[in-house]
Amino acid sequence: MNDRTARYPALEPDDPVPPPTWGRRAPEAQVLPWVFVALVGFLLVGKVLLTPRLAAPALRTWATIFDAVCLQALPFLVLGVTLSAAITTFVPPSLWNRLLPRRPYAAVPVAGAAGAVLPGCECASVPVASGLMARGVTPAAALAFLLASPAINPVVLVSTAVAFPGQPMMVVARLVASLAVAVLTCWIWERLGRPGLPRTPARVPPPAGPRLPVFLAAMRHDLLHAGGFLVVGAMAAATLNVVVPRSWISAAAGVPWVSVLVLALLAVLLCLCSEADAFVAASLTAFSPTARLAFLVVGPMVDLKLIALQAGTFGRAFTVRFVPLTFALAVGVSAAVGAVML
Amino acid sequence: MNRLAQNLVLTLLGGAVVHTSALSDAYLNYVKPGFRPMLVAAGVVILLLGVLGMVQEWRRPYAGDAGRPGGHRDRRHGDQGAGDAGVGDHDAGDHDGSGGHRHGRGPAVAWLLCLPVVTVFLITPPPLGSYAAGRVTGPPPRPAAEPYRALPAGRDSTMAIGEFIGRAWTDRGRSLAGRRVVLTGFAMPAGRGGRWYLTRMQLRCCAADAFPLKVAVRGVPAPREDTWVRVTGTWVATPYEELPKGTVAPELAATAITRVPRPAEPYE
Repeated sequence: MNDRTARYPALEPDDPVPPPTWGRRAPEAQVLPWVFVALVGFLLVGKVLLTPRLAAPALRTWATIFDAVCLQALPFLVLGVTLSAAITTFVPPSLWNRLLPRRPYAAVPVAGAAGAVLPGCECASVPVASGLMARGVTPAAALAFLLASPAINPVVLVSTAVAFPGQPMMVVARLVASLAVAVLTCWIWERLGRPGLPRTPARVPPPAGPRLPVFLAAMRHDLLHAGGFLVVGAMAAATLNVVVPRSWISAAAGVPWVSVLVLALLAVLLCLCSEADAFVAASLTAFSPTARLAFLVVGPMVDLKLIALQAGTFGRAFTVRFVPLTFALAVGVSAAVGAVML
Repeated sequence: MNRLAQNLVLTLLGGAVVHTSALSDAYLNYVKPGFRPMLVAAGVVILLLGVLGMVQEWRRPYAGDAGRPGGHRDRRHGDQGAGDAGVGDHDAGDHDGSGGHRHGRGPAVAWLLCLPVVTVFLITPPPLGSYAAGRVTGPPPRPAAEPYRALPAGRDSTMAIGEFIGRAWTDRGRSLAGRRVVLTGFAMPAGRGGRWYLTRMQLRCCAADAFPLKVAVRGVPAPREDTWVRVTGTWVATPYEELPKGTVAPELAATAITRVPRPAEPYE
């Protein structure tokens, strides 16, 4: 009796023995199997009843493009959140402060150049940058990494070289313009940006003890968060692909400055993975090389999917200021670099 | 979104990705074949994350204070507090900076991750067909000037539509002259009398940037739209001295046409 009251202090002498909570699971666990059965049942029944009715060509094309964008991006997203969770969990915060110069103005170019080393596309860079900020890296430096890493990493540069055979200057121009935009944007942000923006993602400091559960929890949270916004972007991309006729766009290719703006906007709308966009740019033969360079510089830094991801990660107030600044600089720098080098 | 929902969504998503990539050829409708290992790896990671979380949730001991007023809600702020199922979730991630509950609750936007699962299972999106091909009106990219090998005389050469177009555009089609070729693709109406397009979509990266490769076929009646066929025929030399680059589909005078099942790898 004494022993049991010690273990279950809630037990009163006249409570039924054993108490009703014994052997019971948490309320969520009790419904778990039923929720699972209901969902699988819904999918199976829906497959029989609904699939034949969902056969409109536009809807199926939309679904194919939507799923293609999701599937194409998911592995990169998983890679990104794994890296980010690993940074959060296993890398001591002091390391970043030792690697990066203390002064923000010096840290920005170093972080931007570091983006050239880590392969990954833009979906991966948002959680990684957010992880960096949570570890105490200056926001401006983390943002320089965010902008530079998807644009100038080795995989992207190789794919650009493959897409533009015989035009090595396109690769050089992309590298120069992207790095310049990343560094300039973050310097300006450091100078003029409002304190408190971006919202630094708050992290519970990893408790002492086993690291694995912490790692898994961080990964789960980031994956759900970034994944949800990836779906928003994929929906937008699929809708634009099915709704906007591409002939309208090619009609604008004639005027030089219009074509730069049109391709920059197209890059924002299409939300292509930075590892793939060079092939699309190469196919836009109607446009000038400078316009295509703008497409390649803007795409990895500003697109619908990224805006959604950034708004979710760093806050809306940050995104409405940072995205227009990046876009304007990306268009301006691409036009200048294109005029000089292409 | 409580922990149960988070892990359920992850399990479903991971299951759908594994199902699409490892257990069937459906992934070929969306991405290039070489992408399969990465998809399988990503699917397995997501699935494991979800299943591990569900097992954890299942084994979590009952806190035993449900009968006490207030006790139920107090648990939400504990380390294990997964929150009570059914309470409206307002953690959209946009308008709260506290983030103090990252252990229990997840962002509501993650519910959207169900959408790929639902579309993959319920719409079962087919590979892009003539509807998508008809929407791309820009010129196709110029094929790279590859040194094509000479075709054997006297027998049919099976080739990809992309290769046929490439041969027709380089050397003014000299390597195709007088050779019979066999092409496979889906039928698409051309809008002009007597011709139809034998089409195959080409992917650069994934189905979002697909563009059509078209060969105009004449000499055989057009099959129903989106039917997969194999066509045998010879290239029709163009009347132009200089080919207008990338704007004209090369023509094929067909002698035979066979219906074929849709290939497992629908894109070129």
